[in-house]
Amino acid sequence: MKTLTILAGVMLVFVFVWERVDVVRLGYQIERSKSQKILLERERDQLQVKFSSLAAPERIAKVATEKLGLIPPQQGQVMMVHQSMDAPGLSSPPVEQVRLARHVVTGRINE
Amino acid sequence: MTVGPSRGRRYVMLFLFFCGFSIILFRLVTLQVLQAAELTAKANRQHEKTVSFEGARGMVSDRHGKVLAMNVEVPSVFGVPTSLENPSAVARHLSPVLRIRSSELEKKLRQNKSFVWLARKVEPEQGRRLEQLSLGGIGVVMEGQRFYPNGPLLAHVLGFSGMDGQGLEGLERRYDTQLHGEKRVTVLQRDALGRTIFPKGGKEQVPTQGQALTLTVDEVIQYIAEKELDETVVRTHARSGTIIVMEPQSGAILAMAVSPRFDPNSVSALTPDRWRNRALTDTYEPGSTMKAVVAAAALEEKVMTPGSMIFGENGKMTIASTTIHDHEKLGWMTFSEMIQKSSNIGAAKTGMALGDQRLYRYLQAFGFGQRTEIDLPGEVNGLLKAPKSWGRRTLASISMGQEIGVTPLQMVSAIATLANGGVMMKPYVVSEVRDQKGLLLMEVLPHAKRRVVLEETAKTVTTMLERVVTHGTGTKAAIPGFRVAGKTGTAQKIDPRTGGYSSTLFVGSFVGYVPAESPRLAMIVVIDEPQGEAWGGTVAAPVFRRVGEQVLNYLGVSREDTVKIALATRDY
Repeated sequence: MKTLTILAGVMLVFVFVWERVDVVRLGYQIERSKSQKILLERERDQLQVKFSSLAAPERIAKVATEKLGLIPPQQGQVMMVHQSMDAPGLSSPPVEQVRLARHVVTGRINE
Repeated sequence: MTVGPSRGRRYVMLFLFFCGFSIILFRLVTLQVLQAAELTAKANRQHEKTVSFEGARGMVSDRHGKVLAMNVEVPSVFGVPTSLENPSAVARHLSPVLRIRSSELEKKLRQNKSFVWLARKVEPEQGRRLEQLSLGGIGVVMEGQRFYPNGPLLAHVLGFSGMDGQGLEGLERRYDTQLHGEKRVTVLQRDALGRTIFPKGGKEQVPTQGQALTLTVDEVIQYIAEKELDETVVRTHARSGTIIVMEPQSGAILAMAVSPRFDPNSVSALTPDRWRNRALTDTYEPGSTMKAVVAAAALEEKVMTPGSMIFGENGKMTIASTTIHDHEKLGWMTFSEMIQKSSNIGAAKTGMALGDQRLYRYLQAFGFGQRTEIDLPGEVNGLLKAPKSWGRRTLASISMGQEIGVTPLQMVSAIATLANGGVMMKPYVVSEVRDQKGLLLMEVLPHAKRRVVLEETAKTVTTMLERVVTHGTGTKAAIPGFRVAGKTGTAQKIDPRTGGYSSTLFVGSFVGYVPAESPRLAMIVVIDEPQGEAWGGTVAAPVFRRVGEQVLNYLGVSREDTVKIALATRDY
């Protein structure tokens, strides 16, 4: 009985020490994860900055006109095509619009 | 026979043990009791670290979620002068990296301080190079910096924030309380090597990020407005220009462009004159655009009908010993033609028919002489004197847009009232405020301020304003396929030298809405001091057309000649 009590006491001491060591170990692990999180968040922000700068309308317009040789649609080149409300076979006509850009090439109209 | 220490030696040993333990006990009492507080504090200093975290400033995005302002972390460099042995050598090493003169750095490093900023918010590459140098007594910390990815786009509305993240101008200032992150202080425990283990008590104070703003502004519409405005201001060598695009039914601002522009990412070298939001801080005499308001008042009060006849005095009329001129000799004309031809004499007669009290009442109802209460800082009241302070000519002058100072925002709000069937809406820029997790904290709903005129009156004025664009002074504002209602304005500016009206300085403007039958946009274009032809119909109306056409295309608004097709469906 006496031996068992001593053993249990020693075990308790070991458990206590192990718990303290493990808390410290987990503390280091949490800190590492936090540092990694900060780095990832920083990288995410940098990518967001890059994305926003690349998607800026001013830049897109510049690339479209200078690099791709595009021009804004001229008068009459953009036509909104609406779906007629009395189209046959449609019980609840959707309201979406279809936008068509007409490309005028030497007098011919390709839609 | 037993061999052992004699009794005397045993006493000596006992005494020595007693002395030894007494010394240990004394030392224990000294450390644990007498010096307890001091030593505990010393131990805490060694294994505890107090760190303050500041939540990032909230993001600002347009109505479709495109980012307009955000926070990024950039390095800041500091020095600990008291720990430096050779400040001169350190300064020489730092100088090429920070691009600051060595002498300047050395001066800072020689101060008798334990902390000094050497350069704040430098480029990430500079921070990396400094870390590689690993100079003793020099450290790098990361700080949040405001970044505007679109550069000058919407800069006058967004404003900018200061070095310490406080809002200084525009929305950054107006919504600083919501945007700024909260500061939290946490005590961390660290080991012998200085590595952080965990927060004291196991609880870490996580800083709260600033709230995010969603604007009513559309990035693309803003871009179109700024591009067209900039081109016109440069081409006409104008002093400045303003465009406001508003949704008449809600009062939501879709675009607010001011030229010349500035980049909020680098404002240190600029003067307030450059970042002032002229759309709501500057007043101008609106000139003939005011006739649309006077016409609405006259129709509402039944002083005039579209067919009422007015005599144009052949282009010249004297009031209070001053002569009013029209740009052409006009005889008899209808009230509708008076607006179409923008007759000053006709407008003056309409004002006189209304009388000072009634005209003043309508001017107030249309929002002149008071702030629109838009959620942007710096808005002014404009200049509208009470009738008791009016001179003998004031009634006629105000009727043709003189002796009254308005902001472009007030003018577009007034015209949007007509576009909205006579109901004035409160203009606004921020539509939503959300917390860092995206939870909606505040939603701004359209707010009707008051009914100014009857819907019928608004419709009649719309028909008259359509004629301005089809047959009158505003033909260059016409957008093919759409019905445009609007009014041109050309106002002489006050010559600061003479105090009278200048013959060379003008403000050309156009204010209107489209499509007239069901307005989607109300817009004002103001060009300040254009060189050469300064007529509103020549300088501002074409800008209205170009912006209007592109925006209507972008919004997918149908032209009158829309092709209607029937889509057939087939069941399989």
